[in-house]
Amino acid sequence: MRTDFGYFEEKQLGKPYDVKLLKRLLPFTTPYKRLLVYSILLVVVITLLDLSLPYVTKIAIDRHIVPQQVSATHIDTDSTEGKIRYLKADITNPEVKALIYKYPGRFNIYESFATISFEDLHKLDKKDLSILRQDDLKGVTFITAIFLSLILINFVFNFVQVMIMEYSGQMIMHDLRVRIFTHIQSLSIEFFTHNPVGRLVTRVANDTQNMHELFTSVIVFVFKDLFLLVGISLVLISINWQLALVSFLVLPLVIFASIRFAGRAREAFRDLRIKIAEINTRFSETIGGITIIQLFLQEKANYNSFKNLNHEHYLAGMRQIHVFAIFMPVIELLGAVAIAVVIFYGGGSVLAEKISLGALVAFISYMRMFFRPIRDIAEKYNILQNAMASAERIFLVLDSKEMLTKPLSPITSDDNKRGQTLDTISDISLKDISFAYVKNEIVLKGVSFSVKAGETLAIVGPTGSGKTSIINLIMRFYEPTSGQIFLNDINLEKIDPPVFREKMALVTQDPFLFSETIRYNITLGNSNIPEGALNQILIDANCKGLIDQLPDGLDTVLSEGGASISSGERQLISIARAFARNPDLIILDEATSYIDSATEYKIQKALANLMAKRTSIVVAHRLSTARKADRIIVLNRGQIIEAGTHEELMDQKGFYFRLNQLQS
Amino acid sequence: MRSLYLIKPYLQENRYLIFLGIICLIAVDFLQLFIPRIIKWAVDDLTAYQADTLKLFTYALYIVGIAVMIGMLRYLWRRFLIGTSRRVEEGLRNRLFAHIQTLSASYFDNVQTGDLMAHATNDIQHVRMATGMGMVALTDAIVLGTASIGFMAYINVKLTLFVLIPAPMIALGARFFSKKMHRLYGEVQASFSDITEAVRERFAGIRIIKAYNKQKEAASRLESISKDYIGKNLSLVKITGSFFPMMLLFSNLSLAIVLFLGGRQTITLTITPGDFVAFISYLGLLTWPMMAIGWVTNLIQRGKASLNRIDKIMQTHPDIDDFPAARSINNLKGSVMFDNVSFSYPSDSSESGKKFVLSDINFQLDHGNILGIVGPPGSGKTTLLSLIPRIFDTSQGRILIGGIDIRDIQVRHLRSQIAFVSQEPFLFADTIWKNITFANRKIHDTELTRATEEACVYDTVQSFPDAFETIVGEKGVILSGGQKQRVALARALIHNPAILILDDPISQVDMETGSSIINTIRSKANRSTIIIVSHRLSAVRFADQIIALAKGRIVESGTHDELMANDEYYAKTFRLQEIEEQYAH
Repeated sequence: MRTDFGYFEEKQLGKPYDVKLLKRLLPFTTPYKRLLVYSILLVVVITLLDLSLPYVTKIAIDRHIVPQQVSATHIDTDSTEGKIRYLKADITNPEVKALIYKYPGRFNIYESFATISFEDLHKLDKKDLSILRQDDLKGVTFITAIFLSLILINFVFNFVQVMIMEYSGQMIMHDLRVRIFTHIQSLSIEFFTHNPVGRLVTRVANDTQNMHELFTSVIVFVFKDLFLLVGISLVLISINWQLALVSFLVLPLVIFASIRFAGRAREAFRDLRIKIAEINTRFSETIGGITIIQLFLQEKANYNSFKNLNHEHYLAGMRQIHVFAIFMPVIELLGAVAIAVVIFYGGGSVLAEKISLGALVAFISYMRMFFRPIRDIAEKYNILQNAMASAERIFLVLDSKEMLTKPLSPITSDDNKRGQTLDTISDISLKDISFAYVKNEIVLKGVSFSVKAGETLAIVGPTGSGKTSIINLIMRFYEPTSGQIFLNDINLEKIDPPVFREKMALVTQDPFLFSETIRYNITLGNSNIPEGALNQILIDANCKGLIDQLPDGLDTVLSEGGASISSGERQLISIARAFARNPDLIILDEATSYIDSATEYKIQKALANLMAKRTSIVVAHRLSTARKADRIIVLNRGQIIEAGTHEELMDQKGFYFRLNQLQS
Repeated sequence: MRSLYLIKPYLQENRYLIFLGIICLIAVDFLQLFIPRIIKWAVDDLTAYQADTLKLFTYALYIVGIAVMIGMLRYLWRRFLIGTSRRVEEGLRNRLFAHIQTLSASYFDNVQTGDLMAHATNDIQHVRMATGMGMVALTDAIVLGTASIGFMAYINVKLTLFVLIPAPMIALGARFFSKKMHRLYGEVQASFSDITEAVRERFAGIRIIKAYNKQKEAASRLESISKDYIGKNLSLVKITGSFFPMMLLFSNLSLAIVLFLGGRQTITLTITPGDFVAFISYLGLLTWPMMAIGWVTNLIQRGKASLNRIDKIMQTHPDIDDFPAARSINNLKGSVMFDNVSFSYPSDSSESGKKFVLSDINFQLDHGNILGIVGPPGSGKTTLLSLIPRIFDTSQGRILIGGIDIRDIQVRHLRSQIAFVSQEPFLFADTIWKNITFANRKIHDTELTRATEEACVYDTVQSFPDAFETIVGEKGVILSGGQKQRVALARALIHNPAILILDDPISQVDMETGSSIINTIRSKANRSTIIIVSHRLSAVRFADQIIALAKGRIVESGTHDELMANDEYYAKTFRLQEIEEQYAH
């Protein structure tokens, strides 16, 4: 998976993974508990099937291929001298009986059976041999059939298990993703100003993706590996507990090596991750500051310091290779030692007739199986580390609580307490508002004004005087440092933001459109607007002509940032969006960018339609816009310096008057 | 593979290590094949009761001895081969970094940082995996595969042929599946990009979402895109999820064949029981190479694709480079002349004709003079400045410094004589000292003090506990906007360049500091030629010459008094700012 955004920041790096994190992840698996249990049950079955395969082979060997039949005449079991393996033949079968008499002297004949030494079998004719051993041949066929069905069942179960696991893993990711998204979305605008969008996107998209493997592969494989280890041990013990115990002698060494490895590998991985994070930072810093680097001729110096960093990364990589290059062969070596022990001790036991040859072969197979999961641990460990780093970052976001203070008893729109109602906005007033985005950098100072229903208020003032900040406060994107805002005499802090935002429509300077259809951008997913009403909205917002020109009309999909239509047209659509809301209060941040006069005229008309019979607060960049307003406030350096109607302000011959003179 | 040249030098440099590594790897493979032989001997002896304790002990000792050798050789090949891949990674990353540094600003306008970062990390990692693990797995698969088959054939050719029946199925299956996987993988990635884009857009438009109470809709939209992604993933998993079990099925099928045919052959004494057991062991060794083939092709293909992507960057030539006839000129006279300069951004490739950001710019600035540039936002002021040190090249016309066309001067020499303060001060996540001097030890402390005093930042720096050793954090995050601007200014003032270019240098500092900085800048005239863009007209009123830009054209030009008399943009803005000053409490 691509992790291109993963470079943003790694402040929390180097912390070893935390059981706490796993605990916090656990609730996300709850809805899929049942599926996970099924999956684990399947894993148990699959493990059992995996384990049964060598056992089936063992049975084939012991029962049919090299049957256990040792001559009863040899009692001295400690010595191999003169010991002979015999084959038993059934005389009751007439075919066999005929054969036995064909080779007189080779067979020792008893009441119901005859025996022949394995040595002498070579002297028999091939055809006769297959007649003699027809039962064994049938047996092998039968066991192969069992073996085949086992591997088929194994295949099917494996597939089903992977699908279940992947489905639940994906669903857990989905839930986590939606959860982070909704959480981030609920945070205040302030949070967005100091967290770059790229970083937040990384949290929602990439970090959840990183957790995916944790859920799908690690969890199940931990179970699978554990089952496999326990299962193999049990099977070995059941075959022959003495031999099992002897071969387990290497286990303490394996455990010791694994623990040491885990510690060393963690360090190595951590070093590597820190270095790669530093490399990424350096890369993005270089790209960001490329002009400065080039203008100040710092390419060489910058390259050299990058080279050093990159070499440190290389050395960390070599350390990691060293750790793995020691661990893997050591585990393999211990595995070989275990097999050597099985051959020596087990071989002795076969000679002593304590175990069968098939059991020995099975032992060897199981021993090999035993060491595979141990080697896998290293890989799983890496995945776990990665996932934990992502989990840490995810929880860091989920833990941030930069939200607006929630009112204790929020006032809803149909609240009728003390006659205060929010059915319609009849009055909005700011009382002694001061505000700073950053401490000590005051943007607004002691601003007070009020707007009555149906009024249009224009805010004018030079760039940086705090006009847009007033809008931000009325929308309650930010909270004032001091002072209050009242809506129908109710303190804004006491109202749940959605309740009053529902009655407002914001038209921003730079209209933000989504890469969706025009219809979606106007209705914002509200499907309750009847087609007729929508048509009226398009007419009122002067969008009709524009949309009729497009081949797909309302269903035209806008490309990224709405670039396929002009900026004036984008404004028209954003005005239609405000119409679709049918708001009480219009908050308009007038666009400053240059728009051709034909479109400009359309926009002005659309805005006039929108503001007619509605209350509106307009940040005016053109004095012509201000002139049409009922009242004007003049802002300079965060303070209101003049207020009144256009005529009153012109009579005052102050700031506003002089602005008008300059622009005339 | 054309792009192989990128990693060739590193492979060549380590050719002995690679050779040794492969030798070790092959040795390991053969030694591994001996263990089943020993097991076979042991089983055969045990079947015939011909083994005694000593013999068994010898066998056990053989196994341990071989295992020790395998262990040592394994350590060596890991170090040699995987180590080489780390070396390739390092070299490739250095190369990419060095190249990216040479590319011009216009390149970065068109490329997303995230994309470049992906090349620097993911793609290089894929190349590393392909050269390291790819090399190992390929050698392993070939050597182990052919050798196991050879050993098996040595035991019994007929049985070997039967056992190998599923092998072509595995190879074909791997091909078939990897093609399908490739396509589905592409779909999954596209769907993932949809998620990323949807989230990015909704966070970028968070104000609209909040203002229109559309949080629920936004979340449900994401949910549906995310569900779609899950669907795509699950159809991919249908393939991957059946691939490995199927590979396992095929190799178990071989085992079943051994059990059936081999078992019969053992019974009919065509092969010994030891052979039979050894066969099973060899099959175990063969499973891995058979499965590895699919994996290796995938790994190598991915590495190849990544290498090609990196190559694409390496093939981009910087737009701004020395022209063949460029000379090294060290003592430029600082006069600046724009001769009929027009400019449109190289990235602007719209069909409807290029949009000129600057048109017909003409001016002549003598050495030691000051030029002020004013104009509304978007009128082309910053673009004009960026043409002088050749951040961009003019589309039409030419720029002369000291009477020489700047394209006839080597870029290094041109830039070494220009000090530039950009509008957005860019600071590196390093100490203040390094940010100002770029760790140039030749710069004397008295110079540092002078430059920082001139930029009105000396006292501020001294007030920090670590003074000049203060680390400013990512993009100078611990400093205020004004402080950043003044550090960047000190960076330019520490040199005594022929030309000093300042893009709105006092936009973020207060009035008094601003006028103090302007006084410093004025005192630099005569020695340097100064070009200054400012929205605060008080910063340019003293200039020898002022030009006002509008929509990329010079609309006014002259001294302060001349422009005031002209009573156009400059005069109006100047009066407006005067009023603002007046009403500031």
